[in-house]
Amino acid sequence: MPPFRFTHHALIVCSQLSPGFRFNTAVQDVNDSRPHWLRVLAIGRRPRNTLIRITVLVAVCFVTFKFILLPIRVEGISMQPTYHTGQVNCINRLAYLRHEPQRGDIISVRFAGESVMLMKRIIGLPGETVSFHGGKTFVNNQPLAEPYVKFSCDWEAGPIACSTNQFYVVGDNRSMPFNLHTQGRADRERIIGKLFL
Amino acid sequence: MKLVIRLVLLAAVVALSCWLWTIFFPSTEKVIGKKMASLAETTTFSAGASSFSRAAKASTFIGYFSSDAQIFMDVVGLGTHTFSGRDEIHEAGNGGFATLPSLKVSFLDTTVRVGPDQKTADASCTVRVTIGSDKDYGVEEMHFQWQKTNDDWFITRAETVKTLK
Repeated sequence: MPPFRFTHHALIVCSQLSPGFRFNTAVQDVNDSRPHWLRVLAIGRRPRNTLIRITVLVAVCFVTFKFILLPIRVEGISMQPTYHTGQVNCINRLAYLRHEPQRGDIISVRFAGESVMLMKRIIGLPGETVSFHGGKTFVNNQPLAEPYVKFSCDWEAGPIACSTNQFYVVGDNRSMPFNLHTQGRADRERIIGKLFL
Repeated sequence: MKLVIRLVLLAAVVALSCWLWTIFFPSTEKVIGKKMASLAETTTFSAGASSFSRAAKASTFIGYFSSDAQIFMDVVGLGTHTFSGRDEIHEAGNGGFATLPSLKVSFLDTTVRVGPDQKTADASCTVRVTIGSDKDYGVEEMHFQWQKTNDDWFITRAETVKTLK
């Protein structure tokens, strides 16, 4: 037999039973027991659980976007047509924990800090020599296949040798004049991570 | 309960005292950081700024540099420029303030390291310069050397840093 539940609702005392005996005749009042819909919308049916969920969500977001994925907004034309001004993306800081940056990776290179960064593609690895002839890219005097370069290019430059700690980075928009396009050798410690999307 | 309240009040008083201490006796790093922010504000002017206002800004601008200061600029698309001494910097500053349509300078990610003698300091930052419309901007990393003379800090050397070599 289930135990009687004593609630704050009205009780009726039955005189036919023993004087101390009471049983609950309270009818569940639907209007009273259910919280207002606005309250449900704002803090849920169980505020304590909602608070825990919010706390966990905030903590997860903080850790994710502070230490793992760095949100960025793309500005400039040097990575066209792969990326355009106004696009939102993330930088994966953990991308190079287990291996070094690879050729073809789109990476972010920091200036003094991480408020503003360069977004470039790696075309030359440490120890390699990069040059541009007739708009084609050559790595160690071998032509490099670059399907991501869509615009015509007439660059003539190099050869430029990377040291053991440097990666040669350049944007995908090679239609810009060579001297106006920010590109060159980036030190490994300046590379923050790889673009996520 | 009273003890808890007293402890909380004590912690609040200690925190307030620390905060007031940093306000009244700021660290050298903070002083130079404020100077850098003030320099950025001085070099910023809108398109509607009058000639008088621009001249006043140019005059204030030169006040940040020591008499033997040097500026080395190597900017993509603009080439290399060197300005030596206050007069040369003043002249270049006057030209810039007079001819540019508008200028917005902001120093980001500023880090200051004070020398062991407490009379010299190095500051690094990312400089974002917007000339005219918002679309026409440049970003460069810069390094500043500061020196304390007569209880005030002056820039002795400012140079661009090549992020990509």
